[in-house]
Amino acid sequence: MAESYFDWTARLFDPALLATKPEALRGIRVLDISVIIFGPATADFLGELGAEVIKVEMPGAGDVTRILGNAECFWKNVSVAFFPQNHSKYHIGIDMHHPEGQALVRKLAARSDVLIENFKPGTTEAKWGLGYRQLREINPRLIYVANTGFGQWGPFAEGRASYDGLAQAVSGLTAISGFEESPPTKVGNYLGDWFGGCLAAMGALAALRWRDRTGEGQFVEVAQCEGLLRALDWTWLYAGLTGRDRSKTGNRDPVFVPSGIFACRDGAVALVAGADAELLGLLTALGRPELAADPRFATAAARREPAHAAALDALIGAWCRERSREEVEAAARAHGFAVARVMSGADQYGDAHFRARGSVWELDDPVYGRVVDYGPAPKLSATPARHKWAGKPVGWHNDYVLKGVLGLGDGEIAALTRQGVVGRWGDRRGAKPPDDWRDGAPRL
Amino acid sequence: MSARELQAERRTPPWTEWIRQGESPATVSEKPEALDDLVVLDCAVGHYGGHVLAGFLGELGAEVIKLEPPGGDPARRWGPPDATVGGEGLAFLAEGRNRYYATLNPADPEGQALLRRLAARADVLIEGFPAGQMDGWGVGYRQLEPLNPRLVYVALSTHGQFGPRALSGRGPEYDLIDQALSGLVFLTGEPGDDRPERMPTRVGSWISAYAQAAWAGLATLAALHWREGSGRGQMIDVSGAEALMRYLEYTILLYHTAGTVRQRMGVYDLAVSVYTFVPVKDGWAFIAGYTDANFGAICRIMGRPELAQDPRFRTTLDRTEPENRAALREEIARWSVNHTASEILAKVLADPGPGVVVFGPVNRPTATLAEAHWWERGCFGRVVDPVYGPLLLAMPAWRMTRTPPRLKLPGRPPGYHNDHVYAKYLGLGPARVAELRARGAI
Repeated sequence: MAESYFDWTARLFDPALLATKPEALRGIRVLDISVIIFGPATADFLGELGAEVIKVEMPGAGDVTRILGNAECFWKNVSVAFFPQNHSKYHIGIDMHHPEGQALVRKLAARSDVLIENFKPGTTEAKWGLGYRQLREINPRLIYVANTGFGQWGPFAEGRASYDGLAQAVSGLTAISGFEESPPTKVGNYLGDWFGGCLAAMGALAALRWRDRTGEGQFVEVAQCEGLLRALDWTWLYAGLTGRDRSKTGNRDPVFVPSGIFACRDGAVALVAGADAELLGLLTALGRPELAADPRFATAAARREPAHAAALDALIGAWCRERSREEVEAAARAHGFAVARVMSGADQYGDAHFRARGSVWELDDPVYGRVVDYGPAPKLSATPARHKWAGKPVGWHNDYVLKGVLGLGDGEIAALTRQGVVGRWGDRRGAKPPDDWRDGAPRL
Repeated sequence: MSARELQAERRTPPWTEWIRQGESPATVSEKPEALDDLVVLDCAVGHYGGHVLAGFLGELGAEVIKLEPPGGDPARRWGPPDATVGGEGLAFLAEGRNRYYATLNPADPEGQALLRRLAARADVLIEGFPAGQMDGWGVGYRQLEPLNPRLVYVALSTHGQFGPRALSGRGPEYDLIDQALSGLVFLTGEPGDDRPERMPTRVGSWISAYAQAAWAGLATLAALHWREGSGRGQMIDVSGAEALMRYLEYTILLYHTAGTVRQRMGVYDLAVSVYTFVPVKDGWAFIAGYTDANFGAICRIMGRPELAQDPRFRTTLDRTEPENRAALREEIARWSVNHTASEILAKVLADPGPGVVVFGPVNRPTATLAEAHWWERGCFGRVVDPVYGPLLLAMPAWRMTRTPPRLKLPGRPPGYHNDHVYAKYLGLGPARVAELRARGAI
């Protein structure tokens, strides 16, 4: 008898073999001169797929995410906010304000395939001589990725700063999320940074495919606001056809009814029964199968009437409140409607499924020890994505990059260090190694 | 040409002007497409992540062929209840772009044989069936790989193709389910009790589908790059829940290091303050300035420079302390509510510094559509489609100087391109296509 599908996929994606498999972007070098999340995440996603990422930071302090957050966020002298967008990178401290620092970055750009930055439009060119027009002269194959809030040009592009929260607000995302009577709903993560970073990495690889075909590099840009407004499904078509704004519908998905977030005894679940058969299953679980024939609920169209949807929500809410999440999940499996836990970080941490898939990824890091983080999202059978080490203190890999990539000698490096052009961490939280790090200087 | 004219011609234009020309929406159609050597089979049925992914690859130039069951993809019915176009749901049409619409019945043996022949010619196949369904039909990666070792096979689902829940957790799949599993719902919304409006809150759009499409697109292009050297394709498994979970930043690491379960914080941010929504005369607005310099700029713009010296607000740590954070928001709100968003934005833009304030209105979609910026940059397009009439669509998110993505065709009814697709790829003429259709194979 043929092997079952799930036995076969277990072999095809076997985590035990992951480290023995090649990496899709091996040989691609990414020069990451960006800061905070949007740019660094773009580089990180390419690194997960096998690119060598060199992260340039200001000697002394480094990237500001190293100190982002309240006291609880600090761990071993650095904020936990630093790690999720800085895996497996080579950390070099170069002062880009210094002409010799700029020369070093130019040399690295000449030897790189992709450069990623997220400064205000024109900054790299005007301030540091590291703009696309300058770098393409020395490396026409370079793919230059620039991430911003509003784009490189246009009425909002000049002089207007952006953060993720602003992108959520101006894109229209805030206005279509949450409850009509409540204050605006801020999505709980920096969604525009992460989704925009994912799009930017995809754009970089589309450009890489063009380069594979023709040898030509190019300039690629993604704006945070524009990434989010591209992710609002039917919002724009609806506004164009009706002249109206899509309204907020809270936790009900207006397309699939009933749907919502419901409190159970031990937490919340998401529940959806969009198809007729799913609704019958749900009502059977609720002990009210006869309601499936009720004209208020018999068709998808009838169920979407707000009063009818609210009546279903009330029944579901009362039923869930009496039960544990596990009981509701079991009923959904038995009766064929959709339920999932509203998972917290703690739920995910202990989840055997996410662990088995490497979506919760445990690293044994030489500096930080056990690090548990979200692993790469896509699973590739032949060239699996992976994390190799955690983010490192500022300038940790100076030798690796300056010697191993640029071939500088000890004398040159010493001179650059004396002038403050290159450097490592200062004695400050965020930038420096953990207090218990006793193994001296990092080695090439 | 005079020396002076020559000099003017050679003068390097400022960056903004140069890049505006380099990315001009007006010149997009003159330029080549990054992926126009690829053939993608979109076999996603009733799956929005796959629907969006096919559109992303199509925007970047791939030739995408949608293969839907003869009765039409059930996703064609998805959309708001109070508006449709030509009988189609708006959600489907919003992302149905840039592909040829063919029909094929994957549950029918003759349809399966046709799919195998098409897959032998394709670079990428996208599907969103329950894990193992395509395999059961004899058209999964296991069966297609021997026919086409270069194929990149992309399978999209909630729980993935392997792992404990891949089989046991299988059930109907919805964006809301993926959002809940991702952890994003847990982190979003007003903290509080069991009142419905204080529950963990979903993102209003089908955001897990977009995250899934972006990850799958990224992984597909990485796999295609690797194929250049190895000559081999592979299988890619992307879960919508995990796609969004990877965007949850330090949520899980904070639990690992501090044992702290990151909670939803309403209009606040755990790590930074000021970073919040405040009422304005004409609605709501976002305002941020969390470093000392940037917070100082907020105080200056409010005409309240002394606030920066208030002991509750003096340092970044002071300002993120929960009680102070709320008090500070109250102070700002008392001022902001007396001004319109555009009045405040004008003050922000006129402020000489030091420090930078990030500010903008909470736009209703029609307010976003009223801003010239997005139109100049080509973020939206109005097209008059021969099948669907006038449509307002979001344009591709990427700007690329050499191979810009583009919108070519918003969508088509099921089987609209059958004659073209079956003639081009399988050499079948209209008579044979009609026979296959009559038999329910396509």
